Amino acid sequence: MSKTELYNVHLERIKKAIALEKTDRVPVIPVGNSFCANHLGVSLADFAMNNELAADTMLKSFSSLGDIDGMQQPVFSPYLLSYQWLSKVRIPGIDLPKDVPWQVAEAEMMTVDDYDVIINKGYNTFFKDFLKNRLDNLEEKVNPVFAYTPQAIENCKKEGLVTLSPIVCCIPYEVFCGGRTMVKFMRDLFRLSDKVQAAMDIAMDDIVESTRQVLRAMKPTGAWVGGWRGASEFLSPKVWNRFEWPYFKRMVEVVLEENVIPVLHIDSNWERDLEKFLELPKGKCIFSSDHATNIYKVKEVLGDHMCIMGDVPAALTSLGTPDEVYNYSTKLINEIGPKGFILSSGCDIPFNAKPENVKAMIAAVTDK
Amino acid sequence: MEKINLVDALSELDEDLVVKGVKSQLAENVPAIEILGQLQKGMEKVGKFYEEGEYYLSELIMSADIFSSVADLLKANMAQGAELETHGTIVLGTVKDDIHDIGKNIVATILGCNGYKVVDVGVDVPIEKFVEAVKEHKPQVVGMCCLLTTAFDAMKDTVAAVKAENSAVKILIGGGPCDNNVAKYCSADYYCKTAYDAVTLMEGQCKA
Repeated sequence: MSKTELYNVHLERIKKAIALEKTDRVPVIPVGNSFCANHLGVSLADFAMNNELAADTMLKSFSSLGDIDGMQQPVFSPYLLSYQWLSKVRIPGIDLPKDVPWQVAEAEMMTVDDYDVIINKGYNTFFKDFLKNRLDNLEEKVNPVFAYTPQAIENCKKEGLVTLSPIVCCIPYEVFCGGRTMVKFMRDLFRLSDKVQAAMDIAMDDIVESTRQVLRAMKPTGAWVGGWRGASEFLSPKVWNRFEWPYFKRMVEVVLEENVIPVLHIDSNWERDLEKFLELPKGKCIFSSDHATNIYKVKEVLGDHMCIMGDVPAALTSLGTPDEVYNYSTKLINEIGPKGFILSSGCDIPFNAKPENVKAMIAAVTDK
Repeated sequence: MEKINLVDALSELDEDLVVKGVKSQLAENVPAIEILGQLQKGMEKVGKFYEEGEYYLSELIMSADIFSSVADLLKANMAQGAELETHGTIVLGTVKDDIHDIGKNIVATILGCNGYKVVDVGVDVPIEKFVEAVKEHKPQVVGMCCLLTTAFDAMKDTVAAVKAENSAVKILIGGGPCDNNVAKYCSADYYCKTAYDAVTLMEGQCKA
């Protein structure tokens, strides 16, 4: 089979899983970055600063560990975390020893006054200025990553692998919460609720427009719609229904309107609100949880409505044995799948996951 | 004028009413320490709402913030040397090689407002610093956090060192990648899934 034919087999299998149709086997699509560097002995400092090296390392690492259908993301830079959460990130080789993983340093980078700036001048103006003046010209660091992404996707395709979600879409809750810090932002939701909502509405329009432009230019298979700090476990229904869900839902709908698959990257526990996801169209999205939301509950509520992806835990891939990982993965395939299920890690595979454990996860779909 | 019920005002997150009530009691010469006691009861009620699923982390943070702002007002009025009695002490920190502090700060805030003395030793905390804090403050509990799986070994070594210093102290762990298996790996006594689990565990330890 040629690589092009192999790519088509993989893509077809993934699309069938999303449409909740029967597949010949469950697809497996890992996600991770620092793990790949550790696996192949690439220094994290080099991986963090060299997009081409990062992309090649991720492709070589995952494709050497078994018969995967694709990768969730084809390239990585820790500066993307900075861009996503308006936070500084400590970088190996610069702020940290060269083989210590990057870490987001939470600090109040965005002030209460910035809500007014967004309301009066628009989010794009605020965002551009923020990247330049408060995040040390961040655009200069992330633009090369964006520019290299199409090439990284093409490199995966040449190996017959689908890049599931090379774009990350964030709603205002995530961006503001990162910039303000979680504690201060939660206070703002009570003390300045109307102002926060006004700023969110303006930001959302600008973010939606930018997202559409990126999706139209890149035409990716899918895109992450991320839910991290806006998880149900952190917010009362009143707060969640006002500041999180309407924006999250709209972003999913925008991605769908652009004929791109929304990969709902769901971290922390969202169990309380699973039924809300029934408002999204059937057989069109992937619910990808990190193990904090009970995947059996996800199956119970959404199993007939949405493809589920996950959720081999980070702790298991780093502390467990290959047998434990294989058994956990097999249980997921049988009990969450086999229909409407994609096997993956719960969020990223961590830096110190054992390669033999990742191999065991991948082997579970092929029984090899 | 009818006396404002501070317990209800705080538990209903009515900041203006709490501030008004505190100022009014201070004007009537109610001892600051007694007012603080009422506010702590309000925080206990918030905790009860949380346990019942009516409140979430967002409400815990807001209540803690209201508490802290009026506590500052009261401290200025406390008799010299007067201190509110605490239910117990916890030494809390993010283990070595991990700088994440969101979870730790939230736990510290919630425990502090629920009447526990929190000795926050910070982030990226070397083993010796945890041990020193245990020697100095004699806590009932030590709390360790991490967000990186690479910090599991540091956590395990820190647990061993703290237990070697004081075998009676109970150790709880928490943070994104932690679970009961990680607690077992590190030989910690408990795993906290949520920030409020720390309050429940402290209650158990400090009553014992």
